[in-house]
Amino acid sequence: MARRADEEYDYLFKIVLIGDSGVGKSNLLSRFTRNEFCLESKSTIGVEFATRTLQVEGRTVKAQIWDTAGQERYRAITSAYYRGALGALLVYDVTKPTTFENVSRWLKELRDHADSNIVIMLIGNKTDLKHLRAVAAEDAQGYAEKEGLAFVETSALEATNVDKAFQTILSEIYRIISKKTLSSGESAPPVSVKDGKTIVVGGPEPSTGKTTCCSSS
Amino acid sequence: MEKKRLDDYEPGPLPSPRKMDRFGFLKQENNNPPDGLTKGREERRVRKWRKMIGVGGSDWKHYVRRKPHVVKRRIRKGIPDCLRGLVWQLISGSRDLLLMNPGVYEQLVIYETSASELDIIRDISRTFPSHVFFQQRHGPGQRSLYNVLKAYSVYDRDVGYVQGMGFLAGLLLLYMSEEDAFWLLVALLKGAVHAPMEGLYQVGLPLVQQYLSSFDRLMKEQMPKLGEHFTQEMINPSMYASQWFITVFSYSFPFHLALRIWDVFLYEGVKIVFKVGLALLKYCHDDLVKLPFEKLIHALRNFPEDAMDPDTLLPMAYVIKVSRRLEELKQEYNKDGKLSLPTEIKGTEKQMQ
Repeated sequence: MARRADEEYDYLFKIVLIGDSGVGKSNLLSRFTRNEFCLESKSTIGVEFATRTLQVEGRTVKAQIWDTAGQERYRAITSAYYRGALGALLVYDVTKPTTFENVSRWLKELRDHADSNIVIMLIGNKTDLKHLRAVAAEDAQGYAEKEGLAFVETSALEATNVDKAFQTILSEIYRIISKKTLSSGESAPPVSVKDGKTIVVGGPEPSTGKTTCCSSS
Repeated sequence: MEKKRLDDYEPGPLPSPRKMDRFGFLKQENNNPPDGLTKGREERRVRKWRKMIGVGGSDWKHYVRRKPHVVKRRIRKGIPDCLRGLVWQLISGSRDLLLMNPGVYEQLVIYETSASELDIIRDISRTFPSHVFFQQRHGPGQRSLYNVLKAYSVYDRDVGYVQGMGFLAGLLLLYMSEEDAFWLLVALLKGAVHAPMEGLYQVGLPLVQQYLSSFDRLMKEQMPKLGEHFTQEMINPSMYASQWFITVFSYSFPFHLALRIWDVFLYEGVKIVFKVGLALLKYCHDDLVKLPFEKLIHALRNFPEDAMDPDTLLPMAYVIKVSRRLEELKQEYNKDGKLSLPTEIKGTEKQMQ
């Protein structure tokens, strides 16, 4: 199936946004995909979805991002969306220590439900609230190193480091994917739009439904 | 004490003298509901309704027993806004609960503490944030919303507080007092008249899972072409319909439409949620079958304005028959459907805080 020019991409990466309720997941997503921030945002019920296509290491990558409700009880619905995700942005609020303490629970949740090689990035959001900071960047950095996670602090409100966070995780996913390709002995990139044989890595994708490795159904 | 806790709110925007629609929502989108009937017709309608319910609802039960079909027909046309709060309490059975439990609400609000207090506070400013009643930090709207939700989380500690309940409570608070809203919430969740809704909020969200599964089947049976398309594009109802059930369309639908759905929902039960959902898909069927995955997801969250007109959508919904099939699907689901669900829904929830 031919794609229109505006939909062309080399890779489709599925990413999930997780973390406690109220840490700013939905605003990180809207900042990244639409460059918007909403002060009057509603709490997320179930899952939301958005995409953005960008250049990563010289390739066109489409990030397909699933934003999930943070309240624990919603995991009955949201954990189905972890499957097939290549990346997870695990968000806490730098002004709320409990949201940082709960990071280990979210990691366990990922280990239980997500693919084992999922790339995880820890994000401390709301750095704009300087006077309310309660989690030191060094502590989070140390924790991230111990757990083997990438780490960055962001402010969705001030648009600080939001693009960087997504860029970083997408690059890391790209590196892993291309390494895999090398080790499997293929010389060409695994995906070529021009050939019309898009290999979708993770996540529901329309025109190539039969070749996807997973679904959220 | 409560005041102090409320200070933990994230700084919210100050109310500004912006324009409101007739329901009190600040106008920002092209959300401009029609002003309803002409004045004369509206007055005649209100008179008819007043006669039907009697003073303070005294004639209601009698009338419903004598002429249930007249009541159903009139409710489907929409309850007059000035009588909505009262009629909702009559048809939901909440008025009886209130009368049977004097002083209970006050007890729950003032003397009990709830494990969910922080969770509730965190969401207060994120519930109908664009409505003038709920916008002001610590204002009467936010305080009432907090009280009702807290009271419920004490009343049923197993359910506690779950995101989404705030939209139910918030909608009710625009039409009745705190205590009335609380008992209506109880009537709905505990099933005073219709099937209890509490399963939508219990650990594992069992009723959400059941309803989504039934909706999926109904949709595929009634719109095979669209069903096939959704299967191919890997669209499933959890991607778009969870909030329809969890908040009974109050989360993101135009308010004037949500109210009309609630009129029918309180009298006829949850099947109207299925019917409206199916009607929306039917209305947009020919567009939806052409869309690829991402555009589908977008379209299923942003229905066109003409599809959201209650006088177009609801008549379409009323003619869709679901009752018998819903009952069959429920039996089927309870027998074996649960086993094939992809998600883990077993009760492994741990308290995080």
